[in-house]
Amino acid sequence: MVLGKKGVYLAGLALHLFLIITVSSRDSFWLLSKSRTIFPESSKNFWQRAEQIASTALGQRLSASNPARQILTGYLHLSGIEAGYGFFAPNIPNSYKLVFELRFPDGRVEYELPRVSNAASVLRVAGLLDQIGRTRSEAFRQTMVKMLADAVWREHADATMIRAIFGSVILPSAAEFAHGKRESYEFLYAYDFNVSEKSTDQSTP
Amino acid sequence: MKTLSAWRERLIDFFFPAESDTWLAVLRIGLSLQVVLYALSLRDDWNYLLAGTGHGLISRNLGEAILSLESHLIPRLGWFVALGTQVDLREETVLSVAWICLFAVGCSLLLGVACRFSAILAWSLHLCAAKSGGFVSYGVDNFMTIGLFYLMLSPLPDRYSLDWRLRKSRAKDPQWSRRAPGDMDGRALRPSERERASQLLGFWRRVLQLHLCLIYFFSGLTKCLGSGWWDGSNMWRALIRPPFNIINPEILAGWKYLFPAAGVFICVLESGYPFFVWNNKTRRPWLICICVMHVGIGLTMGMYLFALIMIILNVAAFGPGLIRTEHARISLRPQEVIS
Repeated sequence: MVLGKKGVYLAGLALHLFLIITVSSRDSFWLLSKSRTIFPESSKNFWQRAEQIASTALGQRLSASNPARQILTGYLHLSGIEAGYGFFAPNIPNSYKLVFELRFPDGRVEYELPRVSNAASVLRVAGLLDQIGRTRSEAFRQTMVKMLADAVWREHADATMIRAIFGSVILPSAAEFAHGKRESYEFLYAYDFNVSEKSTDQSTP
Repeated sequence: MKTLSAWRERLIDFFFPAESDTWLAVLRIGLSLQVVLYALSLRDDWNYLLAGTGHGLISRNLGEAILSLESHLIPRLGWFVALGTQVDLREETVLSVAWICLFAVGCSLLLGVACRFSAILAWSLHLCAAKSGGFVSYGVDNFMTIGLFYLMLSPLPDRYSLDWRLRKSRAKDPQWSRRAPGDMDGRALRPSERERASQLLGFWRRVLQLHLCLIYFFSGLTKCLGSGWWDGSNMWRALIRPPFNIINPEILAGWKYLFPAAGVFICVLESGYPFFVWNNKTRRPWLICICVMHVGIGLTMGMYLFALIMIILNVAAFGPGLIRTEHARISLRPQEVIS
């Protein structure tokens, strides 16, 4: 192989590794700025600033239509390096649960969970619920819950009202478990979907 | 000037080591199995998870609209659906065809038929599904994209593929066939071509190795910064957190004294990976421990596909050298007996 070609390969690799490190750093800084870690609370501003610098390096501060940003973001997705690797870190958050309360014209009430066929898909739905639980956008949360409610409604077309109750699963510690405490649920949001009015009412704790 | 030149040589030697294609065969076979199992695991829910408005769990259209805000260049199933509507194909049909194609390219990649084409198709179809179903994708999709991306760019086919065997049987003059130094059988091969191929193989293996080091370093580092990994509470929470709670918590409670050690072990294992996996003496135990950790994650948390992809990437990146060392040691014995 001639040196020139090797140089091109090395330059490509350098750029690729730079992107991996920058994306991973950005996500790590984000985790540090949002989570409880061994660092003092006062350091969160520092991590936030570091995250902003990493985002700038990735072109995330350019306008969404900027071709450079479009190409860079496209490449990150194509190569699978658009996200960092802070799985289950720095701490493991509570999980979320979504329960649908279906009301029928005859007064019957049934409860349903988002339904999929197998365990592999259950993992995917759990990831979706995590996204809904963590988002700060109420519009996004409401849209997602409404779509999930629609899926349940298609299977229970005669239901007149669906209440979607979104909650957090509070996990006991090992010591608490030994003393008889079990997982509990904290109510976070509820949405009422009415078939006749097609309206959405929301309630929060 | 001499020092600079020596450094450049060392750099070139590190990034372009002469390498056999065993690692590529491991990656191809492993990823093809992963693609097949991925497709099978989603067989019943494929259309449900990826349907547009009105048929599925959530709208693929919304996911793709958000994707467009990020970049218009990211592949998505919506492109195929739009093409299908041009020839009066319904969305469900297009999605079903996409699933069949993904399953089929997984099988063809496993056999090693049309390796490059299959790898490109597997990467693009999986990427489309993962991006269109972005709301329901998780770590396994990321790692599959990474693996398939490198596989697609690596110098396929490897010598265990059907492509290679067909090419070999068709070649009029076998001395020009591509062989890596590790596979040399004493025949006179064209050196420049052979060297280039083996160095390219070595380069792409290095890319995978370096990427894995970064993955584990950042994963380990962020874990180390959370207090829950040092006192074992995160181990406990990981195992009882729905939907990973496949082991009865009553049983887990009996193991609670192991959790702090296990938590520290995982932190050390992951953050130490980039430092210990390069050393010949520590590579084997580190790789075995990492694979055991992923088997553990698969069995105790039900993340079978995630465990499999991580093991495949690790074994492809760092495994073949270890196996070759073992072969070399065994092959020396008869010589010792003769002497």
